Amino acid sequence: MAHTSMAQEDLMAMLDKESSKEMVYTQATFKGSRLINGQTIETIAKKHLNFWISHRFGAVNSGFLENFFGLDEARIRLGLEYGITDQWLLGAGRSSIEKSYDFYTKYKVLKQSNKMPVSVAAYGSLILNTMPTGYTMPTGTLMRFYNDQQRQSFVGQLLIARKMNEKLSLQIMPSVLHNNLSETPYHENTLTSVGFGGRYKLSNRLSISAEYYKNLVDKKAYLAKSGEVYPYQDSFALGFDIETGGHVFQLHFSNSRGMIEKHFIGQTTGTWANGDIFYGFNIARTFSFDPEAKKTHK
Amino acid sequence: MKRIFRVTMIIGTWVASFSAHAQLYQAQNGEVSFFSKTPLENIDAVSKSVNSIMNVATNEIAVQMRITSFVFPNKLMQEHFNENYLESEKFPMASFKGKIKEAVDLKKAGTYPVTAAGTATIHGVTKPIEIKGTIVSDGTQLQLSSQFDVRLQDYQIDIPKIVFAKIAEVIEVKSKIQFTQKK
Repeated sequence: MAHTSMAQEDLMAMLDKESSKEMVYTQATFKGSRLINGQTIETIAKKHLNFWISHRFGAVNSGFLENFFGLDEARIRLGLEYGITDQWLLGAGRSSIEKSYDFYTKYKVLKQSNKMPVSVAAYGSLILNTMPTGYTMPTGTLMRFYNDQQRQSFVGQLLIARKMNEKLSLQIMPSVLHNNLSETPYHENTLTSVGFGGRYKLSNRLSISAEYYKNLVDKKAYLAKSGEVYPYQDSFALGFDIETGGHVFQLHFSNSRGMIEKHFIGQTTGTWANGDIFYGFNIARTFSFDPEAKKTHK
Repeated sequence: MKRIFRVTMIIGTWVASFSAHAQLYQAQNGEVSFFSKTPLENIDAVSKSVNSIMNVATNEIAVQMRITSFVFPNKLMQEHFNENYLESEKFPMASFKGKIKEAVDLKKAGTYPVTAAGTATIHGVTKPIEIKGTIVSDGTQLQLSSQFDVRLQDYQIDIPKIVFAKIAEVIEVKSKIQFTQKK
């Protein structure tokens, strides 16, 4: 009997040797295709559709009577994204901030595996500002458009992530934002920023996430040229991801109200120190449009 | 004399290893699928890269599959399967090892109903199990098909109450593995 089980062990050892040579891809570096405001390296599966509903409420320090701690004034974004392949997605959304439409694409170039240390994705987005010309920005600047090109902004991002272990995933996001029309002659049209983000799983269905974008802006030069303090801040957000079946809920606090790169990287006015903290959430619902769906089990 | 002895030894070892190998049948693209019908949506998945090895001299068998190799039509379900239920990062493999109870000579062509008694390891939990199946042999190739039930509770696979209605407690598992003689 002892001999028998030994022989079975031998067979299993042979299988272990086989399987140790296999390429194993890392799964689920992040819960969703968005970390908090920004993107993750995750794309969505082929023929799957994600519906995103995002809300950002007013500042929590805006008072109870005046604003019910910010719940009275919400900014929203509705978005759809679709997986062309498992690596490539197309998406579009509409934000109430500056009545903006955004169109984007993301492609996963490298997939982390037992032979590859990181996952890498490239992300590009076009943003159209459809506000009537001559509106006033939160900074007080009067924005006038003379042609449609001036309404366009572009975003390019490289997303590099590593799932360090079962719980911890880290990501770095070198980013470029280009506005065809700068807010004032003192603002650069092109802003570069480096984002850092991560998530830590507290349990199988709950994780905590953080996201910080460090903008590479010469604030002294801006002050010297314009005589004013640079009005924008680096974006920092903290949140929770909660997963229930087909949904991902992301609840978070951020000093940004924008939900697209142009707004949260480029136009964050609040600071955590002053209590300009906006409560918000994203809900993602995934739908499968794969006709193969019912055919797996024979 | 010494030399002749040595040559005989070498040939002897070679023949022995050859005949030992001749007893081994191997499969690398075996299929294992599972299915569960629930009121909300059916859950089904298939892995087409199941490794298995069988020794027809002793009728012992070992089967091993990578949890991440299971493909679901719904990718979100696939992610939940890996992340929440089977915890594939902690327990990357599921396996079975056992012995066919019947005295059958699988090197002879024929169709054999068989019962394999052994242990299954899923989600890091090892349990004794008996699996009924059929082996069709043509002398050089073996086709194994089997069907059995897995109780999630037996393998400490936790289903949260919120999705309980979606997932049955017993999952029907089917396998279809084609073995060829190992060279």
